[in-house]
Amino acid sequence: MMRDTRIRRLPMSLSALVALALAVLPLPSVLEAFRPDFLVLVVFYWSIESPRAGGLSLAFMAGLALDVIHGVVLGQHALALTLMAAWATHLRLRLRVFSILSQCLTIFALLTGYQFILFWVDGATGNPVTTFGRWLAPIIGALLWPVLAGILSRLHER
Amino acid sequence: MGAVAAAGAQESGRLLGILPPMVAFRSTDTSGRTTGLLLRCVLYSLLALGLIIVDKRYDHLGKIRRVLSIVAYPVQIAVASPFEGWDWFRESVSSRGALRADKVKLEAELRLAQFRLQRYEALEAESQRLRALRNNTAGITDRFLIGDVMDLDLDAFRERVLVDKGARDGVFVGQAVLDSGGVFGQVARVGQLTAEVILVSDATHAIPVQINRNGLRTIAVGTGDMGRLKLPYLPTSADVVSGDLLVTSGLGGGFPAGYPVGTVAEVKRDPAQSLADVDVKPAAALDRSRELMFVWLKPQASSPVPATSSAPAASAGHVAPMPAPAQSQSAAAMPAKTPPPAKTPPPAKTPPPAKTPPPAGANDE
Repeated sequence: MMRDTRIRRLPMSLSALVALALAVLPLPSVLEAFRPDFLVLVVFYWSIESPRAGGLSLAFMAGLALDVIHGVVLGQHALALTLMAAWATHLRLRLRVFSILSQCLTIFALLTGYQFILFWVDGATGNPVTTFGRWLAPIIGALLWPVLAGILSRLHER
Repeated sequence: MGAVAAAGAQESGRLLGILPPMVAFRSTDTSGRTTGLLLRCVLYSLLALGLIIVDKRYDHLGKIRRVLSIVAYPVQIAVASPFEGWDWFRESVSSRGALRADKVKLEAELRLAQFRLQRYEALEAESQRLRALRNNTAGITDRFLIGDVMDLDLDAFRERVLVDKGARDGVFVGQAVLDSGGVFGQVARVGQLTAEVILVSDATHAIPVQINRNGLRTIAVGTGDMGRLKLPYLPTSADVVSGDLLVTSGLGGGFPAGYPVGTVAEVKRDPAQSLADVDVKPAAALDRSRELMFVWLKPQASSPVPATSSAPAASAGHVAPMPAPAQSQSAAAMPAKTPPPAKTPPPAKTPPPAKTPPPAGANDE
């Protein structure tokens, strides 16, 4: 088990770093609203795949990184990501046997919950976002899930 | 990817065609229980909630954030540098002919600008003399610093940019930021090496302005759309027409006075409403500018008013040399997230006799 955990750490942090870079990659402003939450998907993948290798800690750290890089109130993404990663970990045994469509739907629910917590914290701290654009990200993220999870599972196979 | 798709021609694979039929989870870690998941979840969530509250309520996290922003800097640089490298490459291989054409064009522009500047300098000196007579030196710029916008998307739904100047260069929160066209925004957050600038078009941003034509003062508020600001506090009877130039009024002390903010694009007057609906097109190239100017205002050394009265609304009433619409006063108390430090300009009613005027030409415009 110990060995298993240690092997996972490298692809885990590497993929998280790449996803973090993708989160701030400049896009044409038309596409900006369509940017999926790469880092969130990566965190979900690892909390389903190997929660013992530190899924929740990864979620918390990744959330803090997002807070800093997006320049929002510290702890917002950390809170949302921690809660949703815990939920994903809770669901993980069921997720393994789900068909691809059910997996996508579950991921969609998780991503929507994530956005909802962000939305709620935004409102509670008096800094609301006025557009509906943010509710698009869960749909895109759910559509992207099979591809991303496929890539990640091939990545740490070797 | 293709291999994954090929390998799994299982039942659900038919459903979505090219996609892998099932995401393969390979870990042997399939024991039902994850030890203390709930406990850790609650712990981390409480920690995050605590962070949110502390960050929102108190200002103690500035240092932590600064350190974290240094950690984030390499990632930001790594993402931004390929794009900057591409720009540099394109510039360095541009042809001699294109460069020559550019040079000719720039020289013509420079000549025109110098021609305009001759008159401008005389006007500037005159304006300073007149203002010194009234002892009103509020909002005169002291010095500038140029910063480059880093090629990053901070947040798709908020109008912010990251600039490569930070606390190390003396940038502070609430500082005014201009570009070559006009007012760009103000500094929302400062890291050690970078600063976050909130654009005038952000939905949480407001800036005190006046109409250049008649001096009518009001507040311009962002809409969340980079091409549009609005003036929500003007009565339907207000004298504003499309094409009016809006400049900063310098009230509130955050922004230097007299810089263009935008031009009125459209005025909609609905007789059933008491307030007019005024759209403004920002003067700064909010979505294109790569170089920004941080502005330091001249400290008001000669201010006879103690700095203790801090509410802008309290002072806005008697500063006004001309009658102000009542709305602008209440709106002045509603600045953006980072309210500029409220400096109280000296009351215009009782001009103190002949203070020493500021040295002419100290304004390094």
